Amino acid sequence: MRRNSMRKQQPSQPIPPDTDHSQQTNQSDAASLPTVPAEAHQESAEKRQRGSARAGMAVIAGRTAGALSRRLHIGGGTSIIGVVAQRVYPDIVAHLATELEHGSIMVTGTNGKTTTSSFIAAILRDDGLRVWRNREGSNLVGGVASSLVIRAQPNGHLRRSGAAISILEVDEAALPKLVRAIPPRIVVFTNLFRDQLDRYGEVDSVVNKWKIAIAQLPASTTLILNADDPTITQLGENFPGRIIYYGIDDIQLEAAEPAETDTEKRYQVLDTRTCAHCGAEYEYSARFYSHMGHYYCPSCGKRRPTPDIRISRVEMESFDRIRLQIATGEEAAHEIIVPLPGLYNIYNALAAAAVAHAMKIGWDAVTTGIEQSKPVFGRGERIQVEGRTIRLLLAKNPTGFNEVLRTLFSDNSSRHILFILNDNIADGQDISWIWDVDFERAVHHIETLVVSGTRAFDLALRMQYAGVDEQKIMVVPPTPLKALKTLHTTHSRQQKKLHIRRAKKDNVEYNTQENIKLPEYVYGIKNALDGALQKTPVGETLFIVPTYTALLELHRELEQRGFTSRYWEGRDA
Amino acid sequence: MISDYRSQKLSLTLGHLYPDQLNLYGDRGNILTLQRRCQLRGIELRVVGLGVGDALAPDEYDLLFIGGGQDKEQAPVAQDLHEMKGIGMWAAIEDDMPVLAVCGGFQLLAHYYRPAEGPDMRGLGVFDAWTEHKGSQVPRCIGDIAIRWGDQTLVGFENHGGRTYLGTAQPLGRVIKGHGNNAEDHTEGAIYRNAFGTYLHGSLLPKNPHFADYLLELALQRKYNHAESENVPSFNSVATEHGSTVLELPRTSLPSLLAPLDDTLEWEAHASLLERLGLYTEAASVLRAHIDSFRLV
Repeated sequence: MRRNSMRKQQPSQPIPPDTDHSQQTNQSDAASLPTVPAEAHQESAEKRQRGSARAGMAVIAGRTAGALSRRLHIGGGTSIIGVVAQRVYPDIVAHLATELEHGSIMVTGTNGKTTTSSFIAAILRDDGLRVWRNREGSNLVGGVASSLVIRAQPNGHLRRSGAAISILEVDEAALPKLVRAIPPRIVVFTNLFRDQLDRYGEVDSVVNKWKIAIAQLPASTTLILNADDPTITQLGENFPGRIIYYGIDDIQLEAAEPAETDTEKRYQVLDTRTCAHCGAEYEYSARFYSHMGHYYCPSCGKRRPTPDIRISRVEMESFDRIRLQIATGEEAAHEIIVPLPGLYNIYNALAAAAVAHAMKIGWDAVTTGIEQSKPVFGRGERIQVEGRTIRLLLAKNPTGFNEVLRTLFSDNSSRHILFILNDNIADGQDISWIWDVDFERAVHHIETLVVSGTRAFDLALRMQYAGVDEQKIMVVPPTPLKALKTLHTTHSRQQKKLHIRRAKKDNVEYNTQENIKLPEYVYGIKNALDGALQKTPVGETLFIVPTYTALLELHRELEQRGFTSRYWEGRDA
Repeated sequence: MISDYRSQKLSLTLGHLYPDQLNLYGDRGNILTLQRRCQLRGIELRVVGLGVGDALAPDEYDLLFIGGGQDKEQAPVAQDLHEMKGIGMWAAIEDDMPVLAVCGGFQLLAHYYRPAEGPDMRGLGVFDAWTEHKGSQVPRCIGDIAIRWGDQTLVGFENHGGRTYLGTAQPLGRVIKGHGNNAEDHTEGAIYRNAFGTYLHGSLLPKNPHFADYLLELALQRKYNHAESENVPSFNSVATEHGSTVLELPRTSLPSLLAPLDDTLEWEAHASLLERLGLYTEAASVLRAHIDSFRLV
């Protein structure tokens, strides 16, 4: 346990080796890229003079705190570095961010932040830029600050800020605070679904936060908005700067869903039902999933904007190979292969292509960037274990879970499954949403099933109610129920007494074998993993669908067993 | 195995109010639970969705459910509830139809909801209770919750900004751990005749099979034991009193129309939530009472 936590808290990850240096042959291309506005540069120059000394102090303080926390095994992640640095110099983030030659891109939304950022990073890197990102899960203000401070020198300047651009994955609720600190060059909004109602509040309260953030943006910022999500398009109203809409035009995709073959209609959660203007219910000429699609308001006439960059054709070639035709304006379509499973990854790839479009990056970089992308941490990640393949598919909210289920079960093959449901703070403590997930879809396609996590019983119950045979569900709770233990002991003690008394009376030997039948469990994620692997024959694939903290826990376990590298080593920090 | 009541096939109709507008907190789990528990006993349960604009004819239903939704969607629903369904709802409730109202639905069945700013939202006034939102600086009531319901427990999750205060209405239960109606007086929910309001979701019924069965039992007794029955004690007369005698629900005194089910998993989920709240004694008594192998202890 101790060793484990030590490794986890190794916060100052090595400054990434300057691998991009060799790729910098394309200097003229990079130079022609639009950079941050000139006035910002001037302002930053003044600020830099004033703030450098303080920034230097802040950097030293932050990194000292990071080293200390690592040494003393306190705290969880790296955000202590940013938090301390900000305490010393509140403007540290703004100060450092302005040194980035190509500014910052922010990505926010309920689902798809991480994968979209990684696609964007791959494209920009292929285009010769030096890309910086915040680390997995460090998407609050402190985490973003840390990502800059660990790359700063004690003189208060960033290392190698030339040709650099930062891609920041930003928590939905943290956006207003962050845009104040770092005026972004581009902001991408992926989608908005209900998620962790106990933490974020209702969908509407997130929209309000975003509107506050957008009102603070300079007109030089470009907004990249999902045209198929009515809540997202509504954000573009009254924004004076440039907006690029992206959307799927291939309405064949809707028909790809074999929903109507079942007698029951697929249950889908709709998180945006009514028009933001007049309150009437939206109608759809094509609906891809949840409230995403070609919508219009029958009452006031508001409709989906025509996308500036669109997918004209989608072909699902295999489980994780999707062929897309992407087009802008009147131009002929470009073919791009997405090497990841799931409809949602089509949107992620398209959002990244939209960023490239906004930055006038050529199609070559877009094509290679996306096609050669590896799945990021837990999002379709593939791990080889003892002759079996594990695929990790993170699911954090009803729509995300529904889409993962659709990806797994749309081709009617039977799967080996491990679901892990945690209710820690980072997952959201309210797990009511599992009842909104369409588990009924999975029923006839489950080969073997293990459910685990802090709310294993709730999930097992959900699966049972969906119609999965109870005998087929292996439940692996986190710990034994205390009550069960106590009752068990009392019971067996009483039984023993009874038996001994009876045995004496009847003059027979006491039979220790006879005991009550109890539900028998093994406990914890490790055992869940072992159980699921055991049920998966060699050569086959085990699909693991965890919530966020469950993914962290599971990944750590897989790392410790040596099946995969520590997650930041594999990442392009 | 089924207590086949006079060899006729039992059937019930559930009216699900505003399934599209009020579905924020996994309310579907409640419907699925009622469906499954009926199905396992060979009882036919028909679920009819009642949206905005639909009238509510009380004699068509045996059971009503209303869930919670987003604030934005609650206002048009409140208006529709008044205009289209108010009279039918009152008639049904006065005729002892079991009604379960969760979260927003609970607020809509009380007198009014007073937001931090803006006009009051009028409710039906079934429960003599009212709700106030005390502004965004007052924290929401969020978290796992356990309440005492009769001699048993109910568990769930609550997430509400409004604080509900009871007038003469009896609470559904007393808070053991959690916030309840208003985080002040330890009451949770409200009862009027066979209408039950509560803030518990999570979903409520899957982990509380005794409460699910209680609702079904009420509906069946009301439908099938209404006129006849000399040897069957009238359920309704007892039920109308239980408002004042929350702690002695007339659960066991009646010949049940419901066959027992194997609810091991349900009770383990129930007990594990109690243990997460630190209620070990309660968890032990739940297991002892409901899991077969412990009945002997």
